[in-house]
Formats: sequence, C-alpha cells, structure tokens
Amino acid sequence: MTDTQSRTETDDTAVFDDAQNAELDRGPFQQWAADSIENPERVYRAMFYVAAIFFLFTTLFPFYWLLMVALTPEGQLQDIVFTPNGFNPGAFVEVFQTIPFHWYMFNSFVIALASTVLVLIIGSLAGYAFGRLEFPGKVPLMLLVLVISFFPPAAFFIPLNDLFNTSFFLLEPITGDGTLYNTPGAMVLPLSAIFMPLAIFILTTFYAQIPDGLEDAARVEGTTRLGALFRVIIPLSAPGVATAGVLTFIAVYNEFFFSFLMTDGQPENWAPILEGILAYQGQYEVLYHLMAAASIIGVIPVAILVVIAQEKIVSGLTAGALKE
Amino acid sequence: MATDTDTLTGGDATPDRDRTGNAVINRMENLSEATYAYLLLLPAFALLTLIAFYPLISTFITSLREDQTRGAEPLGGFVGVDNYVDILTGNARLARQFLDVTVSASFPFVDLGTPFLQQALFVTLAFAVISVVFETVIGFGQAYVLDQEFRGRRWVRVAIILPWAVPIVIQGMIFFLMFQPEVGFGSDLMQWLGIFGPNPLADSQDAFIIILVADIWKSSAFMALLILAGLQSVDRSLYDVARVAGASPWQRFKLITLPLVMPALLVAMLFRTMDAMRVYGLIESTAGCTTVPSLTCLVVEAMFGGTRIYATAAAVAFATALVIGLIISVYVVFFRDTEGGLY
Repeated sequence: MTDTQSRTETDDTAVFDDAQNAELDRGPFQQWAADSIENPERVYRAMFYVAAIFFLFTTLFPFYWLLMVALTPEGQLQDIVFTPNGFNPGAFVEVFQTIPFHWYMFNSFVIALASTVLVLIIGSLAGYAFGRLEFPGKVPLMLLVLVISFFPPAAFFIPLNDLFNTSFFLLEPITGDGTLYNTPGAMVLPLSAIFMPLAIFILTTFYAQIPDGLEDAARVEGTTRLGALFRVIIPLSAPGVATAGVLTFIAVYNEFFFSFLMTDGQPENWAPILEGILAYQGQYEVLYHLMAAASIIGVIPVAILVVIAQEKIVSGLTAGALKE
Repeated sequence: MATDTDTLTGGDATPDRDRTGNAVINRMENLSEATYAYLLLLPAFALLTLIAFYPLISTFITSLREDQTRGAEPLGGFVGVDNYVDILTGNARLARQFLDVTVSASFPFVDLGTPFLQQALFVTLAFAVISVVFETVIGFGQAYVLDQEFRGRRWVRVAIILPWAVPIVIQGMIFFLMFQPEVGFGSDLMQWLGIFGPNPLADSQDAFIIILVADIWKSSAFMALLILAGLQSVDRSLYDVARVAGASPWQRFKLITLPLVMPALLVAMLFRTMDAMRVYGLIESTAGCTTVPSLTCLVVEAMFGGTRIYATAAAVAFATALVIGLIISVYVVFFRDTEGGLY
C-alpha cells in the first residue's frame, strides 16, 4: 500500500527530481527513499494515507462481512471472509417472514421518537433555565443532573421494575391491567430520564450563546416569557435542538439494558428491535444468516442519520461532554 | 399562542378556557426570575425524581435489608452493611462473586478464591482500563487523520463515526457471528495463530478479548471526536514556531499537542471509563454473563436468577455505583492540577 502510494507521489514530482538527480539512476522506491530523507513531510503524508486506509478498513470491514454472511444461503455458512458462499438476497425478505421484524422496528421507532420529543420539550425548559436565568442553587442542581450519569442502569432497575409492575387505577383504561410493563411507557420514561442530562447540557450551551438583546426585543414587543422561549430562543438555537434530538434518538434506539428487560420480548407488547434480532436464535435452530440480515436492516436507520447529521453529532458530543 | 392580543384587549370576547390560560400566563409574567427558573426546571426534576432519584434511594434502602429466600415477603429486616461485607468477602449467595480474594502471608499476598476473570470487579476493572487505553491510542490516530485536509474527508468521518452509532445488540451480533466457530472466520484465524481455544465464546479469557475488541471497535470514535475537538482548538502558529525552533514531530506532539488536548482527552477518558464500568449489553449478546461476568451482569443474574436475592442484587448495584464514583474521584483528584483543569 505504501509502495503504490509513494509511486504515484514520485510520478507527480518526477520532472523536478530528474532535474535534481539527473546523474543518478534510481528505481522508484530508492528514489522515494531519497526524496523522503530530503523532505520528511512526504513520509508523514504517506503515513497519513496508510492510517486513513487502515481505519476505513477496520471500521467498515465488520459491516461488509455481515453483508456477506447475510447473502450466504443457510447451510453453507462456513469460512466466509471476503466473499459469500453463494448468493441469496432473499434473506432480506425472509427476515420479515420468519418473525414480524418490521413490527419490532416500528416499536423501536415509536419508542425512540417519543423519548426524543419528551427529552427535547422537558430538556428545553431546563436548558433555558440553566443557560439564561440566574437563580440560587443553579450549580448544585446542575451537578444533581450530572450525578445521574454516574449510576449504572442496574441501580435504577429494581424499584422501577416494581413500579412498572404495580397496577395504577388511573392507567387501567389505557393499558388494561393498569401497569406500565409491556407498554412503550416502560421504556420511554426511564430512557428519557437517563439520556436527558446530556440533552440538557447540550441545550444549555446553545441557549446561553444567544444574545440577550434578541430576547429583550421580543419581550418589549409584548411577547410573553414562554412566547419568547418558543418563538425566539428555540428557533434561534434550532441547530442545538436538532443536535440534542439526533443524539437522543440514536442513544435510545441503541440502548440495551431497559430495552432488554422492560418487555417480555413479544412484538405486540412493544418489544424493540433488539428482541427482534435475538429472536432468530430459536430453540432448535439458529438462523445465523437472518441474524446478519436483520442486523444490517437495523443499522440502516442510524447509518442514514450519521450521514445526514454528522456535523450535528460531532458538535453535540463535543459540546455535551466538554460542558459536563 | 393567540394570547398576546388578548392581554392587550383584556380578553373580553374570549371563552373561559382562554381566560384561565391568560391568568396562568399573567401570573407567569409576574414571577421573579428565580421562581420562573424553578418552574421551568420542575418537569425535568419531576421526571428525574420518579425515574432516577427515587429508585436510587429505594435501591440503597433495599441493599441494607436481608435476603428472604422463602415466604411471601421478598425482603427481611435491616442488616446494615452485611450485604456489602458479604459481596466484598466473596460470601454472597451469587452464582459468580463480586470480589473473592483473601490476604495471604506469601507473595503476591492475595489468594484468588475464584479465577481472576470470574470475579466481577476484576473483570469490569480490567475491561475498563484496557479498553480505555486502546481507545485513547486509536482515538488519537483517528483524530489525527480527521484533522488533515483531504478530499473525501467527510466520508472518512462518516466511516469512523458509524461503529459508534450501531445499536449495542448489533455490535454484539457482529462479533458473536465472527467468532462463532460454525460461521465466523475469527475463531479459526485466532486458533491458527495459537491465541484462542476451540470455542472462544465459551472461554473466559478468549471471550474477554473478543468483548474488548468489540468495544474498542465501537467506542474509539467517541474518543476520536473529543480529541479532534481539542486538536482543532490548538493554535496552528504554535507548530510553526516549534518547527522553526527545530522541534521533532515527537517533541511537537509531547510539548504542544498533548498538553493542549489534555483537558478534552481527560473528559473523554472519564466518560468512556464510566461507560465501560457499566458494560452489560455487549456481554449478554456475545459470550453471555456466565463466561464474562461484569458488575452489571451480577445484578441482573441476582435479580432474575430465581433465587430471590434482591437485597444482594441491590447491594451489588450500589457497590458498582460506588466503584464508579471512586474512579471519578481518582480522575478529579489526580488530574486536578492538569493545565486547563478537568471542568
């Protein structure tokens, strides 16, 4: 790899080199080595290309390999490295026929969207208070929010499991037996709470950056306080809200702990995509190629999000983490 | 919100519902800034209290009570810190121990009651330390690549972020399939190299390495992005000065890049350590908790193992949080004097 890279580089500057070293008859590699000694920047450039290709390979190869497994017909799944053993794109249809995988995906989307909306609304209010208002107890309250991210989800789980299995009279018309277990609520509520601190910190950073003058102007015009928040502050910090939204959506969609334990794994009981992928591991046979195909389908939504919103993801992770 | 004009005209013609709406908004207008702030924080703290603070306190209280394995009541009376003593001395009713060492007179002065990789505390700590070290090094490499100007940089960045955005279960599935002897090439390859045994996912040591690799694959991107933010805040003219002064690339890295990136790097490492200490989903979807028992694994097993040791489960959960808290304090104290500070 280094060799070909260097050779093309040598070609580019061949005329220049010929003029300098006309009396020497060197092979391309020796030429490159000699040039490198004269000009070390070339070596760094070559190293950079090697590193870039290495990282591209290591991050993308597992996805490529997963696709090869998915395309291999059942029963021929041995020693797949770079090519599939056979060609069976039908696996991507079988995925939906064997179990209702689209149902699991739908559940995941609903849960992730509902959590994102909840986090953005509640987090916007809190982020506005932290970012733009002065009040006693601001720092302790921010630390209290931060403390939540220190605890493992397991530390919340036991009482929440009890709580969500307790029947509440008020919930009976909605959930039937009055409990939240096996409803989207059992995932939306804890996941919103767990990923809210990050959203609050991102939104705080963005809201704090808006000049006071704009808000004052809106208030002088007769806008109410909440009106100023929803019609001036939030539209102006739309990139921040989008950032917090994208990160929350990805985090909820990817979460394992609560998604795994808060439903009984049935699609009609709001089990998310995670249970769907694990469901191909049947009692008598394990459908490896379908697991691979389902995994690829499951990655597509987040892959699209990453391609579209990569700047937002980068700025959000940086702002959120460095602020905290 | 049609209330602006209503407030001006007194809202005479508006229905009752709007009038009460006006009253609420009027009252909100007259609140002091502090009261208004508390009002805006109320929904967030209501949710956090219900989902986070109340369960934490409740878990803590449960952890101080006795396991009641028979009878209708799941929990017995208060026993103070007995559960914590049990899990720290390896006497808990757990399938795999939290910590099981005894002090001995001869070198190395500790005896392992069970193998190293079957003690949850060691497994988790080893996982956290090794993965964070590798992720830092690889993250630096990735950040350096992304810091350069080149065509197609946008797509290289997408490729590097992509593993970070993959659901944990799919991350687990990829590495499960790769090292599953029937399907993947990983098992054969590593056996040929003489590193792994015949069934790596069932062997504690092999599975531990697989989980490490899977985590490094996914999480290096997070490190890379935070380090990149640090790199881009470095004043480029410093490098020119260093070059004129004849500093070697290594000196430039050690004397300019590293100190300036340090604050961002420490935050990234802290976050990754906290995350690594909570590892569960990756293990559950690859090797399983029996092969590689992490701290969270222990809690889940104790809770759903059918042995009704809820108090022990709570104690393990809280002990995990304490260990994480301890690590955070180490970071804060140890790196307090770092230029730029941690926060």
